[in-house]
Amino acid sequence: MEVKIERGNAEVTAFLIGRLDTPASLEVAPKINSLADDAGGTVVLDCKELDYISSSGLRLFLTVRKAAAAKGGRVIVRGMNPDIRNVFMMTGFLNLFEIQ
Amino acid sequence: MRKLRNLKALLLVFVAAIALEATAVVQFYYSQKGLREEAELRAEGELEATRYEIMDIIDQAEAAVRNSVWIAQWCLDNPDSLHRVCQRIVADNPVVAGSTIALVPGYRKDKPLFSPYAFKDTDGAIKVLSLATEEYDYPSQEWFKKPLELGEGYWSEPYVDEGGGEMLMTTYSLPLRDAKGTSAAVITADISLEWLKELVGRMNVYPNAFCTVSSREGHVMVSPPEERDPKSLVFNTSIARTGWAISLVIPESDIFGVLRRVGTIVGILQLIGLLIIILMLQSFIRGERRYRNLDKQRERIAGELQIATGIQMSMVPKTFPPFPERDDLDMAATIVPAKEVGGDLYDFFIRNEKLFFCVGDVSGKGVPAALVMAVTRTTFRNLSAREDSPGRIVRAMNDNLSAMNESDMFVTFFCGVLDLTNGHLRYCNAGHNPPLVLTDAMRDLPVEPNLPLGVLPGMEFKEQEMPFCFDDAIFLYTDGLTEAENAVHEQFGEDRMRDALHGRKSAQDHIDKVKGAVAAFVGDAPQSDDLTILFIHYVPSAHRLVLSNDIGQIPRLTAFVEEAVKMSKLPANAQGSLNLALEEAVTNVMLYAYPEGTEGSVTIDVGSTSRTLSFTITDSGKPFDPTAREEVDINAGVDERPIGGLGIHLIRQIMDDVRYERRGDKNVLILTKNY
Repeated sequence: MEVKIERGNAEVTAFLIGRLDTPASLEVAPKINSLADDAGGTVVLDCKELDYISSSGLRLFLTVRKAAAAKGGRVIVRGMNPDIRNVFMMTGFLNLFEIQ
Repeated sequence: MRKLRNLKALLLVFVAAIALEATAVVQFYYSQKGLREEAELRAEGELEATRYEIMDIIDQAEAAVRNSVWIAQWCLDNPDSLHRVCQRIVADNPVVAGSTIALVPGYRKDKPLFSPYAFKDTDGAIKVLSLATEEYDYPSQEWFKKPLELGEGYWSEPYVDEGGGEMLMTTYSLPLRDAKGTSAAVITADISLEWLKELVGRMNVYPNAFCTVSSREGHVMVSPPEERDPKSLVFNTSIARTGWAISLVIPESDIFGVLRRVGTIVGILQLIGLLIIILMLQSFIRGERRYRNLDKQRERIAGELQIATGIQMSMVPKTFPPFPERDDLDMAATIVPAKEVGGDLYDFFIRNEKLFFCVGDVSGKGVPAALVMAVTRTTFRNLSAREDSPGRIVRAMNDNLSAMNESDMFVTFFCGVLDLTNGHLRYCNAGHNPPLVLTDAMRDLPVEPNLPLGVLPGMEFKEQEMPFCFDDAIFLYTDGLTEAENAVHEQFGEDRMRDALHGRKSAQDHIDKVKGAVAAFVGDAPQSDDLTILFIHYVPSAHRLVLSNDIGQIPRLTAFVEEAVKMSKLPANAQGSLNLALEEAVTNVMLYAYPEGTEGSVTIDVGSTSRTLSFTITDSGKPFDPTAREEVDINAGVDERPIGGLGIHLIRQIMDDVRYERRGDKNVLILTKNY
């Protein structure tokens, strides 16, 4: 699992690459949690190369989303494959994020 | 049995005694009979000879008288000349000591009593005196009366001659008739009986034999000695003319003395012989008994050894398959002791999804080796109950065994720990021959040349490791296998062992084949070493996955689920969601079922029917029912959204049925997906 963060002028984009399962979530948690610092602005979670997500991964998404809610920022989830979209649907996360 | 033998022995002694005694009695009887007959012969001969001698003297006396009858008759007319006749009789006959011719009173008017008596006095001179005295009154004397009464010669009763030297005498008297046939006188001859004593005294046929002579009226002429044997044989003869009875008395002790002495000696010898027989029998019986006792002892030892074998065999796991509930392990083992109890051992058990196993060979054989084997096995169990590292187990075992090793016995030992969740094998070898690893090929497991256990305390034992893959097998053995010898002392060897191991079979079949090959090779040759084999075949099942409580093992779960979905009729796109459901359920167990920092395992079994695919997740952690958790509100806003609770929600969303059960000390969660 790899997480690449690109900080642009208008937004911060995190590219999530691989499988975000429980061990991976523990591994990348500090990196994703660091996005909370940018939560005042726009945070893009790029899922084009994300193959899989478990509830631990969802929890990381939720943490970022809660920070944004607190700071008045936006969180955009972009490029989900059908499986991940399905998980988002099942968990009501589709309603919590801006989906692109 | 023992009584019977004693009885038989007794009977034998009894029969021997009877036989000996019977022989002795028969012999004694016939000897005695012979001796008696001989004594009789000798006695009779002696008696007869003596009788003749007596008769001879008597004849001489009688003849002396008879020969003088005619001249006495002739002299009757001139009685005074009769004294010369008497003198002649005494002078001409040495045996005659005195002689008289006594006229019957009244035969001659002129000499109413007339009895001239001639005798030898002590000097040998012949003197004459008259017996016709008033004091003597010869007509009333026996020697005078009896022959006249009888009308024939008469021997008088013996008497002591008072005048003639106090000698015992007897007198032969013959009536004398004149020419007209009228009884005229009695003519006599006195003989001394002194010779008689001497004569019979010469009959010394036996040293203590003696003779008695008694007269017609019972007067004892020759008396027996004062001391005499009460048991004697008596032989009699008699002399009719004098009426004497002669008895030869022979004491039995004289006749049978020698025989009795010999008999006594023979008896004593027989007794000694019997005693020796009894002693020999006794010692024989005792020896027999000791032999039987030895037999009994041997039986008892054999029995005890059998019990010891039982105890020893009960120490090693010997129920196969040992873990029937597991399909990822196929194991079999055997010990063939060379003696009743041996010094080989193997052991294995599973703790926390780790298979602990070992094989060892104690130097030496029999009971001492078996005792060390028992200690080794106990130490292995004790240490591996809390220690996972084979290196540390072996090191601690070495310290233990060295500390108590006063008999200088050592143990070659191989200890392995196979992590059944991932096939990781760690092992430590203490001087044992390297096990064979059966993968695609067959090769020795590389082992460090560590010392055997029990040699030196404080030794380091290097631990080694090797990944153990699906379908790999390990074959552990003791040198009793490769060094099994046939009748011509060829060893079974590694090549034969490897040949026997070729091909893929169940663990038990492998062992049976190797054992069969060894048995066929050695034939009837007695084996000097124990033979031990442990075969472990690792076949982690596609249908079961066992994980430790380590999040890092999630990729193995993913692969497992992938395989399960592939094998099912579910569409490929179902894989992702099933993966997710399983991960959520298993992660939950890994993170929360066991107290933090402790090891635990979670087992995932997959099962399918024609319409369902179900996963059973089992753990031994604290009771926890994830289905009892309150449903998360997926429509809640961001701020109300709790961080947790999504896992079980996803599981419910993905699976068609979610059931929890508490089975014994296990949590069982069954997730089912319908086709």
